[in-house]
Amino acid sequence: MKNLDSVFAAYLIAWGVFFAYYLTVARRTSSLREDIERLRNLLNRSK
Amino acid sequence: MALLSNTAVLLGKELRTEFRSRELLTTTVVFILMVVVLFSFTFDPSSTESRRFGPGLLWLAFLFAASLMLQPCFLREQTNDTLSALRLSVNDPFAIFLAKLAANTLFLLLTELLMLPVFSILYNVPVLPVLHWLVLTFFLGSLGVSIAGTALSAISAQARMRELLLPLLLLPLLTPVLVVSTQVTAGLLDRAPFVEWKGIGFLAVFDLVFLTALWLFGEYLLEE
Amino acid sequence: MKKHALASAVVLLLLGAAAYGALYVAPTERTMGTIQRIFYIHVPSAWTGLTAFFICFVANLFYVFRRQPYWDWLAVSAAEVGLAFTTVVLITGPVWAHPVWGIWWTWDARLTSTFVLWLLYVSYLLLRTLVEEPDRRALFSALFGIFAFIDVPLVFGSIRWWRTQHPQPVIMGGAGSGLEPTMRWVLLFSWLAMLSLMALLLRARYDVEAMRGELDSLQRDAEAA
Repeated sequence: MKNLDSVFAAYLIAWGVFFAYYLTVARRTSSLREDIERLRNLLNRSK
Repeated sequence: MALLSNTAVLLGKELRTEFRSRELLTTTVVFILMVVVLFSFTFDPSSTESRRFGPGLLWLAFLFAASLMLQPCFLREQTNDTLSALRLSVNDPFAIFLAKLAANTLFLLLTELLMLPVFSILYNVPVLPVLHWLVLTFFLGSLGVSIAGTALSAISAQARMRELLLPLLLLPLLTPVLVVSTQVTAGLLDRAPFVEWKGIGFLAVFDLVFLTALWLFGEYLLEE
Repeated sequence: MKKHALASAVVLLLLGAAAYGALYVAPTERTMGTIQRIFYIHVPSAWTGLTAFFICFVANLFYVFRRQPYWDWLAVSAAEVGLAFTTVVLITGPVWAHPVWGIWWTWDARLTSTFVLWLLYVSYLLLRTLVEEPDRRALFSALFGIFAFIDVPLVFGSIRWWRTQHPQPVIMGGAGSGLEPTMRWVLLFSWLAMLSLMALLLRARYDVEAMRGELDSLQRDAEAA
């Protein structure tokens, strides 16, 4: 089937976009989680 | 009705403010003129090309000019906090918007009509036979631009980078007005002119939809 | 954590099944051949993007009238996720067009409208970065979001009408025009898979906003202490 590689390319690029977006979200999530942990510990120690 | 009389009073204020200095009108006319002339350098249109590209270029120039002209709309209410005074002076905040958008429509329409003979001469496109239809089209299009522009300038006045933000918000939103107004104007400036009624109807719908949206949500735009 | 891993697995499964359906189950289209299979990722992405923007619109309305921060969190998440799907539409369009027409872009009605839609919501996100005060940012972006969404049918309608006056190559024909039953099932299943992906991404992005809210309140507590 000709053009099948274009179809594959389209699917891979699409999944790539979603995965890249998911990665940026995951990165933000983990850095926020770290900050929350840090602040919680700080508050617990000062109590 | 209180809304109409309040609007009339505020509209009078807007008009008087502008006609005292006329700086907005003059700078806008000169800007559109510059855009029109610059376009002719880049495209160097023949007569047929003028008829083809002229309407689009005209409306692009109007849109760019409007996004500059609408900047001071709410911005100048920030000095001396006249916006609070305005808010206190009326029961219905919609009157403030109505007055401003009426004034903006008028100013836009005025600059467009001043530009029309210049455009007609520079691009060799006769406009007199269809003048009244052109005025109607310009009015409906400018009304749409003003409604959206007045609403969004209330937002941009309170944000950073407001000179860039207003065009950024306004231009995508006004795509329907650009597309349809260009089509209708093109029909009127054609060798065999005709009135694109669907387009006129569409512009009226656009204006109505956004006027209603502004009526429903305007008060939140002016919140403290 | 476990629930999240399970949900992700389900979404991946659905996406994989949808891709398999698009590549092997759906019959080959008569006129365009294999390349038409991009249809099964191009069209559902468009529909899912619009679904996300609709969710954004509803969240905007709720924020304006209720003012609870979580509506703002939902709005920004839905706008970003919708933009991701819309980006995929704008990329898969040219990938389809190039082998068929030899050009990367055509100002066909749906693609042009999608581009304007993309610009509208990029502006929405840009607006958010330019208003510093959080309550003001939430309110103004909600109001712009409302204007933007009611503009969407006007954008699509006006550009479609413009294109009937000046026809150009059409990407993929109308969605759903002359589809065999199998094709319709594959299309709907692909949409379902995309919707599940949207839900997953929405949830993840919303959690970021929720955590940010939690961090802010913790910081306020820390400053008070």
